[in-house]
Amino acid sequence: MADSDEEYVGDVTEDEDDLQVSRNDRTRSGKRKQRGAAEWELSRTWETLVEGADGTISSTVEGLLEAGKRKRLLKDTTPLQRGIIRHLILILDLSQSMSEKDLRPTRYLLSLRYAQEFVREFFEQNPISQLGVLGLRDGLAFRVSDMSGNPTEHITSIQNLRPQDPKGLPSLQNGLEMARGALFHTPSHGTREVLVIFGSLLSSDPGDIHQTINTLVTDKVRVRIVGLAAQVAICRELCTRTNGGDETAYGVALNEQHFRELMMEVTTPPAAYSEKRTASSLLMMGFPSRTVEADPSLCACHSKPSRGGYLCSRCGSKVCSLPAECPSCGLTLILSTHLARSYHHLFPLINWVEVPWNRASISSACFACGLHFPPVPPEDQWHTAENHAKGMSASSRYECTACGNHFCIDCDLFAHEVVHNCPGCQSKSMRVPGNAAITSDGMDTTA
Amino acid sequence: MNSVDASEHYDLGTTDLAPSLLTIVFDTNPHAWAALNQSLPLSNAVANLLVFINAHLACNYANEVAVVASHSQKAAWLYPSQHETPSTTTADRDGDVAMNGSAPAQTNKYRPFRIVEEQVTKNLKDLMDSTSSGDLRGNTSTMLAGALTLALSHINRRTIAWAEEHGGADLEDAAAEGGGSGGGTGSGAGRHSAANEDERLQSRILIVSVSGSSDSAHQYIPVMNGIFACQRLQIPIDVCKISGDAVFLQQACDATKGVYMALSEPRGLLQYLMMAFLPDQRSRRHLVLPTRVDVDFRAACFCHRRVVDVGYVCSICLSIFCEPPPNNECLTCGTSLDIGDFGGKPALIPRKRKKKKRVNGTSAAGTPMSTPTPGP
Repeated sequence: MADSDEEYVGDVTEDEDDLQVSRNDRTRSGKRKQRGAAEWELSRTWETLVEGADGTISSTVEGLLEAGKRKRLLKDTTPLQRGIIRHLILILDLSQSMSEKDLRPTRYLLSLRYAQEFVREFFEQNPISQLGVLGLRDGLAFRVSDMSGNPTEHITSIQNLRPQDPKGLPSLQNGLEMARGALFHTPSHGTREVLVIFGSLLSSDPGDIHQTINTLVTDKVRVRIVGLAAQVAICRELCTRTNGGDETAYGVALNEQHFRELMMEVTTPPAAYSEKRTASSLLMMGFPSRTVEADPSLCACHSKPSRGGYLCSRCGSKVCSLPAECPSCGLTLILSTHLARSYHHLFPLINWVEVPWNRASISSACFACGLHFPPVPPEDQWHTAENHAKGMSASSRYECTACGNHFCIDCDLFAHEVVHNCPGCQSKSMRVPGNAAITSDGMDTTA
Repeated sequence: MNSVDASEHYDLGTTDLAPSLLTIVFDTNPHAWAALNQSLPLSNAVANLLVFINAHLACNYANEVAVVASHSQKAAWLYPSQHETPSTTTADRDGDVAMNGSAPAQTNKYRPFRIVEEQVTKNLKDLMDSTSSGDLRGNTSTMLAGALTLALSHINRRTIAWAEEHGGADLEDAAAEGGGSGGGTGSGAGRHSAANEDERLQSRILIVSVSGSSDSAHQYIPVMNGIFACQRLQIPIDVCKISGDAVFLQQACDATKGVYMALSEPRGLLQYLMMAFLPDQRSRRHLVLPTRVDVDFRAACFCHRRVVDVGYVCSICLSIFCEPPPNNECLTCGTSLDIGDFGGKPALIPRKRKKKKRVNGTSAAGTPMSTPTPGP
């Protein structure tokens, strides 16, 4: 049991480091330099265990667990251009070569896990983009999840692949043709991209893949490939030709971390794709509401009769799906929920601070969930608990400096990673601080 | 339960269907309830709500309920009481004798029903008593975002606690799902993905809303954050709309696949609650739910908190403004922005002049069409 606990901590550490490195170089010079990216496989988690005063290691293990929970990403406020509509098809190789164990636990499980993280990260970075997932197995390409903007759907369908086994040979051509079909109808103002996770060294194709590459070039579909085994000539040609001679779109993963980096690279919105408008501009956008009419009418985008649809907020033409550009007045129409998905980056929740024992007596229970805190010990025992892991509060209380309420570690974690709201601040009648919230990252004593 | 076999004990965790946790966010905005007083007084609504809660608790012995009040100046717990343990306070004040004496009719009541009823009414009364007229003046909104966040924190706590009681596997799962990149327990997340649907504590949120949404536009971002958290945790948000208009709540139901109902007849509150909102997620798979097909997807702008349907969006940070910001600088990220040629005339396709006739005419003049001549 103790073993798995340690592994869990180590796991989280790696992930956090990876993400931080890939996101922001600034964090490399952070306090956790000793666990930098280069040393990640040499981290000996057992060496950090120190015997407590009572001769057991339980307190240290608990401390590590809590400190691991407490560690979190630095808030990403670097101005990325998120207003780009990307259309991306993620193709997963699910053939028998994916059952190799050179990447732990297997290539298959690891790529499924990274695919889920990729989906989440992709929508964080590109909130108004669309994504679809395909799988390659038994020489066929099959649809894992349809093109949509909802990350939960994709993640659920990727999770459903887990109990299945990888089998057969992959067909790169079939996958590309299916991806091309899915991307064919996407509007021209968005990008068309394909990301292939390819573990095999061959592709068993029904026809000439070079013709497929030609049609991809004509349709302006860009293909990026992450190889897991070795470089394959056809993949290299495919990437080079569809990216206008750029060879960096093809990468072969050296190890787990490199694999992850290669995948996460793709989530960054492409910078050079918008040629017409300058890097920063104010876009006029419409937030149409969904309507359903009693009688079918033709939509403006495909001229197909339908009852449901979205009416352009400016001219009232009906479009079938969002995001889209209004065919008659040219207004960009998007769902406001897509935009709102990235707002927690704009107004990040300030980090909560640890509460020392001398201020702990004002609260007895977590403000949000009502969990009772450990009672305040006599004053002479305060300092004995000081050798706890960094980032952990000795009194198990964490304080929001804006509203002064105390919270438990689980609510702290939940508030910062899932809800992005402070239960205390939102429950009192005070207005959201707005712009002030951006700069208040200075209390990061814990990360 | 029926079998006396000892092995039953081990199967119990998997065969038993998980109970469901119903969290009710009850909008107690005094302004809105005052306006509703003719058709549905607050006391009737609370009574109806309590009957509904009892019905929910009666469905399964392990079902749980929580009630948060979204009041005009704060959000507060109605049940369970968070800060003081309720049993000690009543014992301190009343003692055993007083309890028996005060409520002789209550002794036959199913104990969970009675506890909920007592606490909800008591806390609601305290909440109303603590509301000063100064709080109400110039404040017609409700703390929906805070109530939603409190509800979510409670659900999170209960989910963790429930998973700990019934084997730690689900806890890992919930952490991996909720924490995203934080809880990177990849293998744990997948193993139970198929089963966790039924094994996990089933949580859902019901918002009983009376306030208009235009008042709560300043809470747009926190409310949306709460909605996305629900979406991520697969918690449906049901909305029972008694009065007012709810822009963001429609989006909440749409995003989390909850039930949205606007009551045409507020007096029938109990009927609506029992028919539409009582079934939990498992039962809903077999039902035809009242679906809402029209969804209002308008957003609130960041500058004046207006609800808009056409707005200006900063392409860097995606902030929404109702008009071009001053100095063409984004108020959120500070980037100087290029204003496109908005407000210009839309590009109209010039109507083609019909030249066909003239062409026909000239061609007719030049080379006359050969008319079919009847053959000999």
